[in-house]
Amino acid sequence: MSNIISAEHITKRFTNHTALDDVSVAIPEGSVYGLLGPNGAGKTTLIRVINRITIPDQGSVLFDGKPISQQDIYRIGYLPEERGLYKKMKVGEQALFLARLKGLSRHEALVRLKQWFIRFGIEDWWDKKVEDLSKGMAQKIQFIVTVLHQPKLLIFDEPFSGFDPINANLLKQEILRLKEEGATVIFSTHNMASVEEICDHITLINKAKNILSGRVEDIRRSHGNNIFDIQFRGEEDSFRQSTTAAELLEYNHDPITGLSTAKIHIAADSDVRNIIAAVNQAVELRSFTEIIPSMNDIFIRTVAECK
Amino acid sequence: MRNIGLIVMREFKERVYKKSFIITTLLMPLLFALISVAPTLIMFYSKGETKQISVIDNSGIIAERLESNEEVEFIIIPNGDLQQELKNTLDKEEFGVLYIGEDIVTNTNNIQLYTNTSSSMTIEESIAGQVEDIIEQVRLKEYNIENLREILDKVEVNISLTTYRNDKEDSAASSSAASSLVGIILGFVLYFFLVIYGSIVMQSIIEEKSSRILEVLVSTVRPFDMMMGKILGVAAVAATQIVIWGVLIIGISALVVPAIMPEDVLSGVEAVKAGADISALSADVDADMITALASVTDTGYITQIIVLLLLFMVGGFLLYAAMYAAVGASVDNAQDAQQLTTPITIPIIFGFIILTMVMNDPNSPLIFWCSMIPFTSPIVMMGRIPSGIPTWEIVTSLAVLYATFVAMVYLAGKIYKVGIFMHGKKPTFKDLYQWLKY
Repeated sequence: MSNIISAEHITKRFTNHTALDDVSVAIPEGSVYGLLGPNGAGKTTLIRVINRITIPDQGSVLFDGKPISQQDIYRIGYLPEERGLYKKMKVGEQALFLARLKGLSRHEALVRLKQWFIRFGIEDWWDKKVEDLSKGMAQKIQFIVTVLHQPKLLIFDEPFSGFDPINANLLKQEILRLKEEGATVIFSTHNMASVEEICDHITLINKAKNILSGRVEDIRRSHGNNIFDIQFRGEEDSFRQSTTAAELLEYNHDPITGLSTAKIHIAADSDVRNIIAAVNQAVELRSFTEIIPSMNDIFIRTVAECK
Repeated sequence: MRNIGLIVMREFKERVYKKSFIITTLLMPLLFALISVAPTLIMFYSKGETKQISVIDNSGIIAERLESNEEVEFIIIPNGDLQQELKNTLDKEEFGVLYIGEDIVTNTNNIQLYTNTSSSMTIEESIAGQVEDIIEQVRLKEYNIENLREILDKVEVNISLTTYRNDKEDSAASSSAASSLVGIILGFVLYFFLVIYGSIVMQSIIEEKSSRILEVLVSTVRPFDMMMGKILGVAAVAATQIVIWGVLIIGISALVVPAIMPEDVLSGVEAVKAGADISALSADVDADMITALASVTDTGYITQIIVLLLLFMVGGFLLYAAMYAAVGASVDNAQDAQQLTTPITIPIIFGFIILTMVMNDPNSPLIFWCSMIPFTSPIVMMGRIPSGIPTWEIVTSLAVLYATFVAMVYLAGKIYKVGIFMHGKKPTFKDLYQWLKY
């Protein structure tokens, strides 16, 4: 799979601080790519560099394998974190204006907007003034305008901030639908649950540096600490004897169901199969699962390690 | 370019289709017209009822010659007693009592007016004028010269100086009073346009910044295009307003003014326009007024002035709007802008002060240079143009103005580009200088 965006060795310094320090990211075509990081880490600056809003001091951005140019901007849809609309303008007129700025003809923009308005069930907003809309309503308009010109690449900066759960879910569905239609989606977020749900790849940026990059599944697996969750029915003593090769972290027995649960840590060099065999012989084994850490845990741990 | 066009259209529509724009554009000339005729109207309507004044004339020569008119009616009280009469007029609600002393011809201060209500300047002047004339007549008579009055009238001189431009092809008579008045008005209009429309640009950029619409736009439109679109859009609005006013003024001067001018003045104006020598006209019309009216009703002259006004207005506006745009992009709210706009408003106000000096001498070195330096040239030049200046001066001034605009818009664009992303901190001049180097 080719990369739609390769940002290579991007460095951007402002007067008093460095926003990006030799950051490289490669965003595979057709993926949903999460940009994670604490506040002020440099996510928005990286997004602006990709968007050609900010010119980096060093490094280059390739779009579809070629250095990005002003024309490529029409193939990108960008929803900034802080987003607004002209308050005094009518919704339809404004959407039309923004759509035409993205290169659509008046007619084309009108046809597509009507379709989207029907789809979101907001046809009767067309002649309303923006100042009469609620924040959530305005965000729907902004979302429509961002995707209207059917860009190959979509960039959402903190798309879930300020959305209520219903609209956040709607947005999630739309992101997944856009991916199915072949678009690539980059979004920055603090919402780790949404990362696990919809992201294929992530990059974690902390203090202007890329500290973790890769497929979500690989990252979670590689951050496993060889801790296993075991459920069984049987004697505590025989279980303890069967796991002497590992370290028992936790033991619980539920007298009502008669089930016992335990957490063990297996040293990296010992074979998991031997322990499974031993436990299986000692007690009636119900389940034996590796505990894969959540993105939330990985995020906190990785950022903490940086300090 | 396409995006600049779209933004210009949006800015233009947003402002021109507003009710307030249509109303002010149509009402302003009406307001000007009203202000200019207001004094006459006030005089006309404030006449009120005829005031009755009792006259006690101890000299016996004044009272019988006083003439009553629409404003005052003199009631002669023979051998009246002042105290008694004061009481009477108060009871009868008359205006007051005029008391004339016995020795009025020799002691002209011995005359008093007692009023029962507040007095008025016009009544006082009218009474004083009449009494002065009467005393003059009486005194003249004492010389015993036949027809002395007529002789004096013939001796009295009233000249009207007509000015011709020797350095110009068409040597039409020009009135310097009229041209400096037109110049001041034009400079004034320009001053207001620079200040009002300049701050409109600044205000709306601050608004776009704080509503974060800029963040949305910036991904598809280059910041420079955004700024240019804004400036040109507002310039188009200002130009529209000038053109509408120009059409109204040309219409009024070509159709309405001739219709309301008195017959003899009109014929004089027509004669001057046709190239007649003003000295050939009858002496009882004011030559200065005729030349002024002739130029004011000359449609070609007005069109030329309005075209130049448009050129200087647009040039000056573009220059100042670029600076206002840079400030608007750097701040979060109008309060923070105040300090940064000071260096912008100072040259405008300076130009305005220079404008008021144009009347004395439109060609003094100070005024000449101020009409060349781009920051003051639009205002000062508009003050000079009606008095007729060489074309090369106008062309040079315009060229310098537009060249400075190009340089200024380049610098403003750099500040704008950085400024629109700066939030929270009130920028200083040092910051703006830093941003220029990004």
